[in-house]
Amino acid sequence: MTQSIASKYAIVGVGESARSKNSGTTPLHLALDAARAAIADAGLDAKEIDGFMSYSEGDSCTAHQVATYLGAHPKYVKDISGGGSSTELLIADAVALIETGQANTILIYRAMNGRSGVRMGGGGWSTDMLQGALDGGSFIIPYGAGSPSQWFGLFAQRHMHVNGITKEHLGHVCLSAYEYAQKNPKAFFYGKPLTMEDYLATAPLSDPFNKHDFCLESDEANALIITSAKHAQTLQQKPAYILGVSARRTVKHAHYWQNIDEVAADYVAADLYEKTGVKPRDIQVASIYDCYSWVVIRQLEAYGLAPKGQVGDFVAAGNLRIDGQLPTNLAGGMLAEGYTHGMNNVLEIVRQVRGEYSGTARQAQNHDLGICTGWAGPDIAGAMLLHK
Amino acid sequence: MTEQLKTETYTQPIPMKNSDNAAYWDAADQHMLTLQKCTDCGKYAQPPGPACCHCGSQNVTWEEQGTDIVGEIYSYVISYRPFLPGYTMEDMPLVIAVVKLEKQNITIIGNVLHCKPDDVAIGKMVKMIWVDMNEERAIPQWELV
Repeated sequence: MTQSIASKYAIVGVGESARSKNSGTTPLHLALDAARAAIADAGLDAKEIDGFMSYSEGDSCTAHQVATYLGAHPKYVKDISGGGSSTELLIADAVALIETGQANTILIYRAMNGRSGVRMGGGGWSTDMLQGALDGGSFIIPYGAGSPSQWFGLFAQRHMHVNGITKEHLGHVCLSAYEYAQKNPKAFFYGKPLTMEDYLATAPLSDPFNKHDFCLESDEANALIITSAKHAQTLQQKPAYILGVSARRTVKHAHYWQNIDEVAADYVAADLYEKTGVKPRDIQVASIYDCYSWVVIRQLEAYGLAPKGQVGDFVAAGNLRIDGQLPTNLAGGMLAEGYTHGMNNVLEIVRQVRGEYSGTARQAQNHDLGICTGWAGPDIAGAMLLHK
Repeated sequence: MTEQLKTETYTQPIPMKNSDNAAYWDAADQHMLTLQKCTDCGKYAQPPGPACCHCGSQNVTWEEQGTDIVGEIYSYVISYRPFLPGYTMEDMPLVIAVVKLEKQNITIIGNVLHCKPDDVAIGKMVKMIWVDMNEERAIPQWELV
């Protein structure tokens, strides 16, 4: 039996670069800005960071570059290829690296010019390249299916049909995200509230999704720092302790559209709860990966955060809002704040769990235990639980 | 069951053949469906792969399914905006469907052609048709029954 890592490691610093649609600079500059902010947040010196790790889709800078220009000389660097859920994966890796003495304090970042540079939603890439790069690509690209909105939309349409999820239910997910964004001056949709009337009147793009159901595109970098609980207790920030992580699980088939009735989050949830002994009802605040509105609904079901078959009612009752049962994506999420492949949601759950917004309208009333979920797609997912 | 060239030049992406899928696309060029089947576990695989995706066996073979292929719309999206080179607004709305073949217990993704978006629904039956992309190549598509 493996030894529990519960509360032995903590996130001790978080930070971000400026967020824009056109940074006018390189991902390396953005990464350095985010890293410096996280280091300052933790009250560390860059030279105390001895591990640097990042994820990207070939659109970033290397961990070695970031370490170099922070004036650090780490024992360990790693750059992985990956999108959503990679933060949870790298946090699990960081725990293992610290546990085995490879490093003591590790900085993880995601840097991207996601709007002005390489766009995740498809940016006129060669269709021959895509057919080769995507597993089974020749069975989807020649049918015009080149966007995650279409791939995930196939899952959404079926799931909505079977479970009585309506367009209005998707709208409630968007509305809560936009509502949070009105309290976050750094959110792209700050000052741009959304009503259900407007939402329902918006033309479809990849039906069942309209533009509000899509995440944003940002030029931005985010960073966080993880270390042992013992070290964390000597630092300036309140630690966000890691209760457990399920790093990265898959569905049964690499060609995931072969079975659109299951998603990797179904497997992650079982593993995470078994590892930690936590029950879904114990969770007080959430960051749920939200590349599309429906992805939130499907994960609420997968993680048991709302009863299967009643997820639509759960979101319609306002339960994702600040006064609901499960305040979710409180900075506005990727639907309304910005998009760094999930990492901005990770930063927010850390801030919520440590009570950073206490005394303001942004703080969830109950925030001792939070969940953060990652979704690379229906095929790959990860999640973690954090506590104060 | 077949359709003549829609336009003089087919601008949409043409399926690329490789060592794992060539038999599927070769059959499509002849307006037929062939599927990979495992001779150990007896299951069909779609898309085909380098071994059986169900049990890992290397004993995979090809089984012709003929030209009369009917399936059920298991799910779909309707695209109102192109996301790939080769597609224009004139190709929209584009129906992309997951079609379930009950007997073979597999699904195939394709476009449901010659229909209005409102006519498409989960559970509706479709039949496979083949669109000639050029003189050598044809692609399987779907039409409402």
